[in-house]
This record gives sequence, structure tokens and C-alpha cells, in this order.
Amino acid sequence: MGENIVEMQGISKSFPGVLALDRVDFNASEGKVHAIVGENGAGKSTLMKILAGAYRPDNGKILLKGKEYSFHSPREAQKHGISIIYQEFNLIPDLTVSENIFLGREPLKRMGFIDRPNLIKRAQSLLEDLGVEINLELRVADLGVAQQQMVEIAKALSLNADIIMMDEPSAVVSGKELESLFRIIRTLKENGKTIIYISHRIDEIFEIADRATVLKDGKLVDTVSTSDTDKATIVRMMVGRNLSEAFPGRRKGTGKKEVLSLKNVTRHRILKNVSFEVYSGEILGIAGLVGAGRTEVARAIFGADPLDSGEITLNGKKIKKGSPKNSIKSGIGFVTENRAFDGLVHSLSVRKNLTLSILDRVKKWFIVNDRHEKEIGRKCAEQFNIITPSIEQEVRYLSGGNQQKVILGKWININPSILVLDEPTRGIDVGAKGEMYTLMRGLADGGTAIIMISSELHEIIGMSDRILVMHDGEIMGEISPDEATEEGVLMMATGQERGNTKAEE
Amino acid sequence: MRSGFVKRHSAVLIVYIILAVLILTTSLLSDVFLSFRNFENLLRQAAPLGFVSIGQTFSILSAGIDLSIGSVVSMASVLTTGLIEGQENLVFPVLVLVIGLALLIGFINGTIISRTGVHPLIVTLGMMSVVQGGILLYTKAPTGSVPIMFDYLAWGNVLLKNVRIPFPFLLFAFVAAIAIVFLKLTAFGRYVYATGGNEEVARLSGIKTSRVKVIVYMICSFSASLTGIMLASRMGMGDPLVGERYMLDSIVPVLIGGTRLTGGVGGVGGTLGGIFIFIILSNALNMLDVTAYWQWIAEGLVVIVSVSLYFKQKR
Repeated sequence: MGENIVEMQGISKSFPGVLALDRVDFNASEGKVHAIVGENGAGKSTLMKILAGAYRPDNGKILLKGKEYSFHSPREAQKHGISIIYQEFNLIPDLTVSENIFLGREPLKRMGFIDRPNLIKRAQSLLEDLGVEINLELRVADLGVAQQQMVEIAKALSLNADIIMMDEPSAVVSGKELESLFRIIRTLKENGKTIIYISHRIDEIFEIADRATVLKDGKLVDTVSTSDTDKATIVRMMVGRNLSEAFPGRRKGTGKKEVLSLKNVTRHRILKNVSFEVYSGEILGIAGLVGAGRTEVARAIFGADPLDSGEITLNGKKIKKGSPKNSIKSGIGFVTENRAFDGLVHSLSVRKNLTLSILDRVKKWFIVNDRHEKEIGRKCAEQFNIITPSIEQEVRYLSGGNQQKVILGKWININPSILVLDEPTRGIDVGAKGEMYTLMRGLADGGTAIIMISSELHEIIGMSDRILVMHDGEIMGEISPDEATEEGVLMMATGQERGNTKAEE
Repeated sequence: MRSGFVKRHSAVLIVYIILAVLILTTSLLSDVFLSFRNFENLLRQAAPLGFVSIGQTFSILSAGIDLSIGSVVSMASVLTTGLIEGQENLVFPVLVLVIGLALLIGFINGTIISRTGVHPLIVTLGMMSVVQGGILLYTKAPTGSVPIMFDYLAWGNVLLKNVRIPFPFLLFAFVAAIAIVFLKLTAFGRYVYATGGNEEVARLSGIKTSRVKVIVYMICSFSASLTGIMLASRMGMGDPLVGERYMLDSIVPVLIGGTRLTGGVGGVGGTLGGIFIFIILSNALNMLDVTAYWQWIAEGLVVIVSVSLYFKQKR
């Protein structure tokens, strides 16, 4: 086995409310592909960001070729040959491919002018080494995602990186593009580069990686050689628990009172004839890949976006003109997917966020009833176990899991008859996830209809009473969770298979 | 709990600490500063700048800005004197007309901003030019006059237990109190903070953010009309260029007062501190015989230093 080019020893890192990494060891040797696997929130990205200099560890050592380093910035890590390619690329859309590759390090002529011929020549040779053909004069904005990824890799190489980290590269490319990514990774490996490949997709790991380090809840489970192990073992290490234990069980009642129905809801190029019903007391899971139109269905139900055609009926009444205000009045709650951007007003306190959608009820004439509001805030914080020094704390100081509870509390305050949750557990730690599941089931048992959008298949299968699968703006079919397998859902979500849809019933 | 309170109100605390230091140093450097006459004068001066800065606080809190505020000041001043022309019986109808016109301008600003999504900077910059052009078509030189009773607005005094308090200051205090109540206690005030903090969240929480913005810009223009009317009373004559300096001067106290240009954070409490820092600074420099150009430099430095202080502690 080759020399360890990187050694990370006993790395710990905590964020407010979460211990993201707990004494994790990680080694990588020259000319190998190392995978880091684990569920969302296992600490993969945090570990890599520490190596890349974006975070500083609370504890632990980083050794490069046996020498101890501590990086204060990504730039310092880059100087020592460490590059990272994030899921969101760091490219300037309006600059060309070659300009992006050498951004900030442009070859210059005298007087500070950019030496364009030289720039293009050097970019060209980098891309040739990678075996990639991209027109260097194109703006990055005009490239596809896969090509942008190649540009990022070329940029890393231009920095003379020995260690290239890729954070969930397969989240943005798939199929043929993924194959060519793998081809490039193999080329890099032959040239002696070390690749650290972060993913939660097992198949890829066995295809490309030599070794895999499994993380779970911020702890190192084990590092194994992919040739000595199999998929099932890795999955067991990742999950580390019996799936059914984590979920609070299925719906108890069997009553079928229709709360909401969508008929041929259509938005140009985004939603195609989406029809389904939701019943009180059930959790309806909507599965699908990113971009399948799941969030758009949620926004349509909530009245956040206008429809081109189709109709939505709530409690037997047709909704004429949807708007968030009317939806809230009629009891629809919407926990949005992107907590950081459209979940909370970060500059407002916990209390003020909790009552933002029900101020009409808390005010008397025009004045907000302070005492009433504080009471609601305190009750909510207690009910949902929101951990904060005070309900007057601004929500931006709360941990992700607690922010999520504030969002949920805000929507439960409207006494929803329907609650739409878009990726309710994304990015929160495992403990908070469990609490979230219990809360959701409790609400459903209380009669609320819950629509849960999720990309995590085991969550969809574990939580839902019925599962709808979407692909490309369409409902591909409905599956009962007892018959559902992750593979089966994925076949529909990727559009390779169609289940029984409403129309065929 | 206590440290939480300090942390939450740290921006406002900093403003008032700066203000206290400023008052202390000025009174050490000049004995006229603490004199009754000078203080009365200061309070009298606070009103015109005060109104527009309070208005501007609303727009900046909502993550916008109103650059047309200065031209609305000029418009209000010129129309008030130009239409009244010394006739007492016209005072009331003209004031109603002027304020109504200002509200209309604010309504148009807010409607364009919320319907098109064009940045407020651009919309109100355009509006500034439109209004200023209109004023200059109406008159190119100071014009009109006001009846004697109108002087009371800027020069009157109210006796409270033998203490003479300038009427404009009372009016200013009244407007400030209403603004604070409006922002801190009413649901509408909360909507302004929410819209400025994160418009999409506010909208998805059932808040009609377009309506909030329209009202915010109407408040801005309304405050500008108050300033214009006050200036008309102070000078007895309307000046078509009198409002020019308020475009930027209205923003300065808001920023010194800790309200963030990105919206959602701050309030009128801080702006009041900012207003007094601004006028005491220029008063002090005046008394120390510092030329106007140095005053500009000093004011510019205060803005940069105070705002960078807030940013630093934010991290």
C-alpha cells in the first residue's frame, strides 16, 4: 500500500447544537480513489471542508506527507495541493471556460495585460490531459452542468492539486456524463493524483473507489477496502440500525375523508396533468428526483405560483384564485424545502417567526398583543422542544434542527388541515429527524393530512401511507409502502417504469 | 438573559454611546453648546431632517430605499408657499393638496417597485428626476409666501411648566412616537421587518408584501411632505432646490442609527440617535468655526466608521 499522503487524526468539529464530527480518523494514499460515504448529515462534507481549509477543526491533527499543517483558509490548502469541487460550482457564469480556469492567476504580458494566446494554450493542454473537448471560448453559463464540472476539475489541476476532493459529484450528473466523469477520475489516478470522492450512492463507490470510509452521525464507523467487502455490508454500516425502528409506524385509522384533490394541474413545461387526492389523517409521500416537479406541486397547492390550467379542490370547494394568504386562511401549511432561503426570517426572533402567519389572530385592532404572542411562543417552544436560550433569540443563532422545529411550529399554529412538507429532514441530525417523524405522525393521527416530499427513499417508504412517484412533471404512479422497494421507486422516478396512475384505474 | 438584551439592542446602544461621547466632548470644547439658546436651536433644527429620516427608516427596513424623498421635500415646500401666496384661508386646503400629492407619488413608487420588481434605487431615482423636473417647470426661483400664522409651525413655542419648547420639536417627537409604535407594536410594523428580512418567507407566510411596500413608500413621501411644509414655514418662501440635500441626508442618520441597508434589522430608535449625532456634529463644528467643507468630511467619516462598526460586530 502506498504512502499516506493525507492523515487526519482525531478530528472533532461542533456547530451550535450539533456535534458534526466526533474524533474522526481518515487516511488517503497517493494515486488512489477514496470514497467517503454516509447518510445526509453524517459529517462527510464537514470532514472535507476541514481538509480544504474552509472550516477549522475544534480538535485533531492534519498531516500532509507526514508533516503537520493547519489551514486557515481554502487558499492555504490550495497552495499545498488540496482542491475541492463543491456541488455548487465556483465558476463565474459570464466568463469563458479558459478565463474561469485561470481566474486570479491569468498569464500576463507586460503592463498587466492578459496574455490571451497563452491563456488559451494552457487551458487547452489541461483539457487535453483530461481527454475532454470543450470550446474554450464559450461562456460557462452556456455549458451544461457536466461540462461545468469538467471545468472545475481542470481548474483544480491548474492549481497543481495532488488531492482533489469531489463533493457528491453524482448529484448533478448522471448516466453517460457520470461515466465520463469516472473515466476522468481513472485518468487522474493514473497520473498519481489522489481523489477523495464523497457520495451516499453505494453503486458508484464500488465502481470507482479503492477504499471507502463510512461515517455515521459524525463518527467513524470503519474504513474498508472495496475489494474485501460488499454493498450490503456498507449499507449496514451506513444505516447502523434497523430501518423500522426509526419510524413511528403507520397510520392507525382507516377513515377516508378527502381533504384536497388536484385535477389536471398543469404549468407550462413544469407540471403535466397532475391529479391526485389527499385524505385526512394520512401521510402521502411524494418521491422523485430533483427537478421532477415535486416542489412545484407543493407551491401550486399553496397558491404560491399561478396555474396554467387544472383545478384544485379543498374540502369540496374549488379554489378560485390561490394565494398564500388564502391558503393559510383555509388551513394549508407549507414547510418549504430550502430552510436557509425561504423558511424563516432570520433577523426576527423565534417568537416573531412563530406568529408570522397568524398575526391576524394575535392582534387586536392594529396592535399586536404582546402577552398573547409570548404565550404562543413559549407554548410552541415547549411543545416542540425548541432549544434556545430565549424565545426572543433571533432564529439565525439556532441550529438547523431547531430552526426546522420553529418552521414546523409556525405552520402548526395555523391549525392546518393540510400540511405540505418539502424535504422536512434535509440537513438535520439524526436525533432531530426522529423527533420530526414522531411529530408528523402525531399530527396525522390528529386528523391533519400530510404531504411529505422527500428525496430519501427509506424515509419515503418508512413514513408514507401512500407513495406517489413523480418524474419530469408527471405523476408516474402510486405505490403502497408495503410493496415499495427503493429500486422500485427509483425505476419510476427515473422514468423507466410507469405504475398504475389515476387515469388507468 | 441580560446579556441577551444587550446583544439584541447593541446597535442602538452603540449609537447612543457615540451620541453621549459627542455631547460630552462638544460641551468640553465649547461653553456655548450647553446654553439654553443653542439647545433650543438644535431641537428646532431636528424636525425637518427628523421627518425624512424617519420615513427613510421605513423604506430601508423593507430592504428598499427612497431617493425621491429630496425632490418631494422641494415640491412640498414650493407648492405650499406658491399656492398659499399669503392667504390665510388657503392654508388648510393647500396643505391637504400637498400631502395628498406626496402620498400619490409614494403610491406610484411603491406600486412600480412591487409590480415590476425593479430595484427601488432605480425607480425612486427616476421618480426624483420626474418630480424635480416638474418643480423646475413650475418655478426656477424661490417663490410664494405664507401668512403670519404659518410661522408658528417652524418658529412657535409651547410653554410646558415655564419651559419653552419649540413647536417643531414637539411635532417631531409626536411623529417619532407614532412611528415607533407603528413599527414595534402593530402587525403592519412586523410585516415591514419580515418583508425586509426575507420577502419570500413573508409572502409565503400570507403577508401581502406588495401592499406593505406601497404603504412604506407612501410613508416615505408623507414624511418628505412634512419636511417640505416645515421648511416653507421656516423660510417663509418655497425653494425649488431646498430638498436636494435631503436625498442623502435622510439616509445618513438611518445608517448611523444601525439600520441595515439590506433590510429587516434596525428601527426608528436608532435613527433618532443618528439624527442627533448628525445635527450636533454640524452644530459643534459650526461653533468651532470649522468650514462647511470640513464638516462634510467629518460627516462622511462618521457614516463610514459607524456602519463598519456594526458590520464588524455582526461577524
